[in-house]
Amino acid sequence: MMGPEVTWYLIVASILFTIGALGVLVRRSPLIVLLSLEIMLNGANLALIAFARHQGDADGQIFALTVMAVAASEVVVGLGLIVAMSRRRLPLDVDRMTTLRG
Amino acid sequence: MDVGNILVWIVWFAAAFACLGSGIAVVTFANPFYSALALIGNLASLAVLYLLLSAEFVAAAQVLVYAGAVMVMFLFVIGYLGGRADAPWAGGPSWQQVAAICAAGALLVEIVVAVGLKAGDRLDDEATIGASFGSPQEIGRLFLTNNLLAFEITSIVLLVAAVGGVILGAHSRRFDREVARR
Amino acid sequence: MTTVAVTGWVCLLSPLTAALLITLAGDRLSRRGAGYLATTSTFVSFGAALVGFMSLLGDNPEERAEVTTAWTWLKAGSFEAGLSLLVDPLSMMMMLIVSGVGSLIVMYSIGYMDGEDEERRYFAYMALFVFSMLLLVEGANLVLLLAGWGLVGLASYLLIGFHHERPSAVAAAKKAFVMNAIGDATMALAIFLLFWKTGTVTFSGVFDGVDGLSNTVVTLAALGLLGGAVAKSAQIPLQTWLPDAMEGPTPVSALIHAATMVTAGVYLLVRLNPIYEQAEFVQDLAAAIGAVTLIVAGLIALVQWDIKRVIAYSTMSQIGYMFLGAGIGAYSSAMFHLMTHAFFKALLFLAAGIVIHALAGEQDIRNMGGLRDALPRTYRAMLIGGLALAGIFPLSGFWSKDSILASALAGSTYDKVLFVIGLGGVFLTALYTFRMLFVAFGGERSAYAREHLHDTSHGEAPFSMGAAVAVLSVLAIVGGWIQIPGLWHPLSNWLDPVAEPLVEPSVTQDWVTSLVSMGIALGGIWLAWLIWSKRTVALPAWPEARRVLEHKFYFDELYDQVFYKPAVAIARLLGRSVEEPLVAGSIDATVSSVREAGRASTLIQTGYLRAYALALMTGLAVLAVLFVAFR
Repeated sequence: MMGPEVTWYLIVASILFTIGALGVLVRRSPLIVLLSLEIMLNGANLALIAFARHQGDADGQIFALTVMAVAASEVVVGLGLIVAMSRRRLPLDVDRMTTLRG
Repeated sequence: MDVGNILVWIVWFAAAFACLGSGIAVVTFANPFYSALALIGNLASLAVLYLLLSAEFVAAAQVLVYAGAVMVMFLFVIGYLGGRADAPWAGGPSWQQVAAICAAGALLVEIVVAVGLKAGDRLDDEATIGASFGSPQEIGRLFLTNNLLAFEITSIVLLVAAVGGVILGAHSRRFDREVARR
Repeated sequence: MTTVAVTGWVCLLSPLTAALLITLAGDRLSRRGAGYLATTSTFVSFGAALVGFMSLLGDNPEERAEVTTAWTWLKAGSFEAGLSLLVDPLSMMMMLIVSGVGSLIVMYSIGYMDGEDEERRYFAYMALFVFSMLLLVEGANLVLLLAGWGLVGLASYLLIGFHHERPSAVAAAKKAFVMNAIGDATMALAIFLLFWKTGTVTFSGVFDGVDGLSNTVVTLAALGLLGGAVAKSAQIPLQTWLPDAMEGPTPVSALIHAATMVTAGVYLLVRLNPIYEQAEFVQDLAAAIGAVTLIVAGLIALVQWDIKRVIAYSTMSQIGYMFLGAGIGAYSSAMFHLMTHAFFKALLFLAAGIVIHALAGEQDIRNMGGLRDALPRTYRAMLIGGLALAGIFPLSGFWSKDSILASALAGSTYDKVLFVIGLGGVFLTALYTFRMLFVAFGGERSAYAREHLHDTSHGEAPFSMGAAVAVLSVLAIVGGWIQIPGLWHPLSNWLDPVAEPLVEPSVTQDWVTSLVSMGIALGGIWLAWLIWSKRTVALPAWPEARRVLEHKFYFDELYDQVFYKPAVAIARLLGRSVEEPLVAGSIDATVSSVREAGRASTLIQTGYLRAYALALMTGLAVLAVLFVAFR
């Protein structure tokens, strides 16, 4: 194959995943958290596509497409939640949503 | 070392850096609008990387669906909500942030180590692929034969999400009156 | 199934059926109906026993034992205990006595307990008791014997405490049960020992196996069994429960504590005579216990004022005679006395019941007097009973008591000593019996009697009571004519195959004993007449002796000090130092530790989304390490 080997792609994917994870853990706005989640999912997708190329098996691409569809659904619901929250004048702050405490 | 290869390497480096850079941008910008735009850039660079990996259909779908539909939705919502700023590192790093960095860092190190060691020589051989690998034909055929179940279930998931979105966005008259009162 | 076997089962199960029916019918059965049902069932029992008796008479004397098994009740390894009944001369005799006297007393109860609120419960208990006693005497193995033993103890507890609103009755019932339980425990241990060493529990098996056992084992087993007999028969030192048991209704005292249950100890000694003959020390001990008891009880009876307690101590004393007889090996004499005693003692109790009824519940003889004219028929009945008890010719007691004494005379030197003690008992018996009769029935009517005497114009007692007393009077007179020394002895012939006597008095010894004891008895009656009727002789004061007798030789106080108080102290100590800190404390500790653990766990649930996400990530990192390292 031309260009870098699979391992390079995997390292990019893992760095992307870690960036996304950091974003989820560090940011307080739920919007940004959702965006970071997207980054994590994309990192996983990249890994899947890389392996598909490596193994010569297109199932990895199928999986990646499914992940994309699921991510889209999840974003719909997540954004719906955020909109509902803002409509109820709730603070858009992940740290302030502590009803499950105790 | 032929020209094609060098070209590929250059494209790869550009795409990789764009990808990582935009990723960092998403996480660090205060303004959510800018974060969303950075994510679009991320998606685009990823699409390039997919192309390099012979995943043409996935790259197209990535641009169309992700960047075209999902991100547009994001931008709509951000526009509706207004760009509320929240600085990520305001007030100094709390123990939560430190712990988060440690955990994420640890994970990264492990993966890199594992991959770098070529996962015990399992990442050595690469398979040779045909020309139609990753073409829409191929993907379509796989979806409708081997992975039919996944295809159908995914459609149901999308349906559920659509219904959920409608319900979440619905106006409840009694509630609206209550909100207006507040 | 042979006739004998059928009669055995019918006799046993008839009262049980009545008890169950009365219990299950509850309110649907009238109170009188319960009484009639119980009485009928016991009469059916008696009828079946009679039929069986006739059938046995037709058999050869050696073949008169029959074991009938319903099914194998318990089976564990080599241990097997069947639900088997043994119908042989000894058990047949007991069956006749128990069902016969029992049915008369249950019939009497119809009149005595008339108007009681809980009459049905009473009759159910009485039927249960008759069943239990029959089980005891009909059982073909030690396990059924023990089962019947325990059940009669239970029935006794239930009936003594029948008037459960009275704290004294409840206390008496508990006392009876606990003391019987001591005997039950020793008996159970003895049965375990016997099973362990002989491998079987059936009578025949044990008797065969006992020959080969060592002396210590047999002695221990016999001692354990003697313990049970002593407790059940209220002999010294386990006698304190019997006087208190008089808290129960009078028919209960007649049936359980005179005619049948307390004689179960004697039955045991006679039934298990092969074991006792191997353990001579224990047999001698039994005779000694009997001798001591008969004197002590006789002395205590001299100072009792409650009419029922006098008769109770008299029972204790007469059973002492039976123990004496069984202890020296005069088995048929002991059984003979058991039978006649059942007749005249039940007669005395039932007649006393009529007196108590007529005086609206008064039992103190100092408040009676001059009842001879008021209740002439009852007086006659009590006189017959008293003469029989004292052993006056030709009533039943004369024959039976003297056969025991004559056997003692015919025995070893040890037996001759017991003979002398027995003669002393004869004097005491006559003395206290006629003291009771003269004080209660003779002289002038006391003020109390004049006030409370019920109108007796239409008969002194209802038919059911009078009929029972009449039948028993007849039996008390003629019951002894079944064994006249020198002339005929069908009773000892009957019992020979089961219990061959160790001593046989000669005819001369018999008649000499009879003359001497009769003389002593008449002397006692004459002295009683002088003291309490003619009042020419005064009883010497002897305050210390009187006090000892009135406190029943201080047995109750001794047991209180030695057993009750230390037990209560230990219980309290254990309660304070073991129960509270350890038992309750450990439960408390479990509860509080669980609660604390729960509280600690909730500290993790902060509600912060990011904290949860962090936890996820950390876990993922750890897992990744594990996977990479160990793959």
